[in-house]
Amino acid sequence: MHIPDGYLDPTIIAITWAVTIPFLIFAWKKTKKTYSHSIAPTLAITSALVFVVQMINFPIAGGTTVHVLGVTLLAVILGPFPAMLSMTMVLLMQAFFFADGGLLAFGANALNMAVIGSLSFFIVKLLTRKTSSNKQFASSVFIASWVAALLTALATGLELGFSKAFAGGVMLTVPSMVSVYAIEGLVEAVITTALVTSLQRLQPAVMMGLKLLRGSEKL
Amino acid sequence: MKKYILVAALIILALAVLLPFASSDPDGLENLISTSGTQQHESFWNGLMADYSVAIGNPYFSTLLAGIFGTMVVLLATFVLGTVVAPKEKSENVKKI
Repeated sequence: MHIPDGYLDPTIIAITWAVTIPFLIFAWKKTKKTYSHSIAPTLAITSALVFVVQMINFPIAGGTTVHVLGVTLLAVILGPFPAMLSMTMVLLMQAFFFADGGLLAFGANALNMAVIGSLSFFIVKLLTRKTSSNKQFASSVFIASWVAALLTALATGLELGFSKAFAGGVMLTVPSMVSVYAIEGLVEAVITTALVTSLQRLQPAVMMGLKLLRGSEKL
Repeated sequence: MKKYILVAALIILALAVLLPFASSDPDGLENLISTSGTQQHESFWNGLMADYSVAIGNPYFSTLLAGIFGTMVVLLATFVLGTVVAPKEKSENVKKI
């Protein structure tokens, strides 16, 4: 899912950076306004977990492997804006130390995984708007994780497909990415829902995202 | 803080246990690159530990060490991020905005 350098056209690189940067600035400002310092340990631990799960590739149909993205997990635990920042930081470390994802393509990777993924928080918010039922919360997290994986795949497919450096075009890249991540998204959804609901039972106090959903904290 | 250190240790333990089950086959994107007939590129930046491996013979420990290093780096970087971005104290009325 991490796009390496050399496959995106300069226009696509420019567009993705231009979309990503304002989101990150906005996320920074929102986080600064809403959160205190005490978010740091939870932010660090959840980001480390995401880094580790992204190392574990598992096979799905057709000789292809995938890894869990984990960003909906961050968004529900931390809230959307710190999730955006911490996912971006994880991607930065992956690109810098492990060459997982390109440097020029970083804008695209941050857009696909950090920005789009974190916004899945608002899917959960929309689906749980009128209720504080735990069942509804769990099913909303499930749906949001799956949709986030699909949208991430869709964005990646579009960026590659519209790049001339990439053979095949969108009619190849979009169906290919989306079909793989429609399956990955189910695994993603099961894992995210299981982790989020366990944390909700064991340690709800650290879940700023949950507080934002329940209205005891406001963005 | 003790709890957080415990969870960090559990995360690294999970990595050590799950790593042998991780597949090294190409992922969806790499597969698409090779099947679409796109010309493949050598990257201009190979990182410090390309493909999550350090220069030791055993592939399991090579990836595990890279993973532990990465986990530590991510913990540190995101902890610093968290403390830098969010101010130390919040007055109640700021929080309610």
